[in-house]
Amino acid sequence: MAMAAIRREGRRFTPLVSSPNPTFNAIRSTLAPSEEQIGLGVRSISTQIVRNRMKSVKNIQKITKAMKMVAASKLRAIQVRAENSRGLWQPFTALLGDTPSVNVKKNVIVTISSDKGLCGGINSTSVKISRALHKINAGPDSECKYVILGEKGKAQLIRDSKKDIELSMTELQKNFLNYTQVSVIADDILKNVEFDALRIVFNKFQSVVSFLPTTSTVLSPEIVERESEAGGKIGDLDSYEIEGGETKSEVLQNLSEFQFSCVMFNAVLENACSEQGARMSAMDSSSRNAGDMLDRLTLTYNRTRQASITTELTEIISGASALEG
Amino acid sequence: MASTAAVPFWRSAGMTYITYSNICANLVRNCLKEPYKSEAISREKVHFSVSKWTDGKQEKPTIRSDSPDA
Repeated sequence: MAMAAIRREGRRFTPLVSSPNPTFNAIRSTLAPSEEQIGLGVRSISTQIVRNRMKSVKNIQKITKAMKMVAASKLRAIQVRAENSRGLWQPFTALLGDTPSVNVKKNVIVTISSDKGLCGGINSTSVKISRALHKINAGPDSECKYVILGEKGKAQLIRDSKKDIELSMTELQKNFLNYTQVSVIADDILKNVEFDALRIVFNKFQSVVSFLPTTSTVLSPEIVERESEAGGKIGDLDSYEIEGGETKSEVLQNLSEFQFSCVMFNAVLENACSEQGARMSAMDSSSRNAGDMLDRLTLTYNRTRQASITTELTEIISGASALEG
Repeated sequence: MASTAAVPFWRSAGMTYITYSNICANLVRNCLKEPYKSEAISREKVHFSVSKWTDGKQEKPTIRSDSPDA
């Protein structure tokens, strides 16, 4: 009330009171006497800018919090399936081995990435590993090609490895991820790309905060035969009995195709898990940052507001005392 | 050891083992009764878009959003 009286007094000395939002003034009459912006910006300090920033930062914080919850719920749904799918490829590795150090002529690197962004650094790590694998394997007599799943990986690999890309697939997560879809993709890769060894690069889901970039190697049946003749783990294949009228090469071909499909299924699920987990932690840190920013802005806003009130008061009082004296 | 005797019919028709097993799985799913059948059918949906690359250029992507049997 006293403030209102001082304001009225103050108005005698301000011939121009341009208040663009009279409702604003009614609400904030005791708080921010410096509503005059454009015409009288010299006299008073405007808190409008800070207020706008505070509003937008608060909205961003709400959005990132919501995104974090969505990612958490999606993660819960998909984590169970990913862990169950690990049992699909483990017998294959026990039987045929996983030999990343195999030396073949035609390598194909299958990079699995996400379609959407805002998920932290997992796509960059996948692409980094793919490039490293490419460098290791591309020698004078061996070639190395890429098959890319997901938009983000494609965007990164286009920059420097355009010539080595063979196939790219996107829009994988429109439906729920299921084995049929992954097997159709695997089938496409098998039919369109010649390979001796396939190296699948993905992010394995260890826990909600840790994702390990891993690579699994699947060999084509001819190479498996070659390796089995050379002895080692795969050489034990002969000790297994084969039912039915199929020869060893038949069985090997079926097995290798099925192994590819199973490994792909597990890789896609694990990558999806890692994507949701990374998005959760990214959104969490971003809402925390927004909260910090909001605190800092509130302090600035209060300082500005108090300074403007003090200025206004001093002017009024000095003006009044000049009149009297 | 690497003989080509008695290639199974589906391989000589150009299918891979994956396609063969998908078709068999589809047949099994169609044998279910409702309501399990609709749940199982919903597990079969396929949708993605694939595009081949030649010489560093991407060709027009084709969308495969049909029934899942290859």
